[in-house]
Amino acid sequence: MVGRGIEDIDIKMPRDAYDTGKHMPTFNVYLTAIVRDSEGRVVKIHRQRSHSPTANFIGLMLPLQYFINTNSSYTLTNTGGSTTSYQPNTTIQAYDISYPNAEQNFQTYLAMIQVGSGQQSNPYSANSLAAPIANGSGTGQLAYGQPSIPSTITVSGSEAYFTISQTFNNNSGSTVTITEVGIILNLWLNSLYISGSIVENNNFGNVLVWYDVLSSSISVPNGGSVTIYYTFTVNP
Amino acid sequence: MVTSDLVSEEDIAKLIIPDDLPDEEPIFKAYIEAKVYDKEGHLIQYHRQPMRSLTQYFLALMAIPIIGTFQGPSTNSAPGILTNVLGLPSSVSGNGNSANITWNWSIQLGSGTQAFSPTLTGLAAPIANGTGTGELLYSTVSVSYAGSMIFVSVQVTNTTSSSISVTEIGLTGTVILGYINPNTGNYASSTYSFLLSYDTFSTPVTVPAYGMAVFQITLSFTG
Repeated sequence: MVGRGIEDIDIKMPRDAYDTGKHMPTFNVYLTAIVRDSEGRVVKIHRQRSHSPTANFIGLMLPLQYFINTNSSYTLTNTGGSTTSYQPNTTIQAYDISYPNAEQNFQTYLAMIQVGSGQQSNPYSANSLAAPIANGSGTGQLAYGQPSIPSTITVSGSEAYFTISQTFNNNSGSTVTITEVGIILNLWLNSLYISGSIVENNNFGNVLVWYDVLSSSISVPNGGSVTIYYTFTVNP
Repeated sequence: MVTSDLVSEEDIAKLIIPDDLPDEEPIFKAYIEAKVYDKEGHLIQYHRQPMRSLTQYFLALMAIPIIGTFQGPSTNSAPGILTNVLGLPSSVSGNGNSANITWNWSIQLGSGTQAFSPTLTGLAAPIANGTGTGELLYSTVSVSYAGSMIFVSVQVTNTTSSSISVTEIGLTGTVILGYINPNTGNYASSTYSFLLSYDTFSTPVTVPAYGMAVFQITLSFTG
């Protein structure tokens, strides 16, 4: 007879499994912001640990076995509040994350690091920033540069990391204050099934996958800029 | 306060992985559990320890939900992390009209030890799946989640008459690029396998003759 314990692995994290005073965690994320004035001089450097993958991130990280073995889907929510049932599979009609192809392409890509002027208390369930700062030069707006993604992972000893970044220019005429930051993925789910000459697909749009409330607000002076860096590292 | 200007990428590199931030609860916590049962199903050992050693391949895999699978909205090539680290093609060529990506995880046990490196590609001495001497019979991997915690577990059975000592464990991943076979019109795929984490047990986990064990890896993104 199999012992009862086999069906009863305690899912509660044991407190002694991550006694932070004794050893470093194996994975960390850092958020760095460098603020420059209108003459390009650094006027502030903000650094903090990033804390908050969202529920969307968890759903997109789950491996195929979860979906196949449980015959379950995972509800993803985009920044507009629309939902989709994500249920990848290795069949022709399953809607999976798109990948580059020689013929038809449906791009899933880093849309932006988005900044905002609000905050919300439950980052895990956040689907959008509380008060996104619009891209532009009007009052309260910032001009969004293009996000930068790395070409590889940097390995140094036991440590490995990659960094994404984006610069925002303030042409609004007055200081703009940032209190929240998020990472937005443009997600395109497509099947391999072709209806007529068209591949069945679902352009799900912008999805918030990471969200942080800043430990202190960042003021970007008029004519100045801020560059946000997210660094994901293992074994730091 | 105005700080001195930054003159190079090297200056920025010193800032993006700061070592002077106050101690906080880590964002990511992971641990390994093992429950061992004798041939009569009695629980005879329970082992638990933190999981410490993620590889660069784990980092590359988790980059997919962050940076996506394309370099940009009008660049039909995969990001360098996927091609340079995982070895995936920049695009799937000659195979129909579209392609997509999924992945599986598994748990590999071993009987050796080795120093950790983020570029490790395998265990020192993997224990094969089977019923022969020194082998364990692996069952289907189970994956579940609760909030921001993901659980991966596997049951192994020792069908031999000798005990088997497990000293190392790895979380492994297999990326699957799916496409349409242009000749058949059916689903086809290419697979790429990686070691996502590597840990040695602080004390060996011994699976007795005709006994079994359940190994579970818990990944917690606490948020």
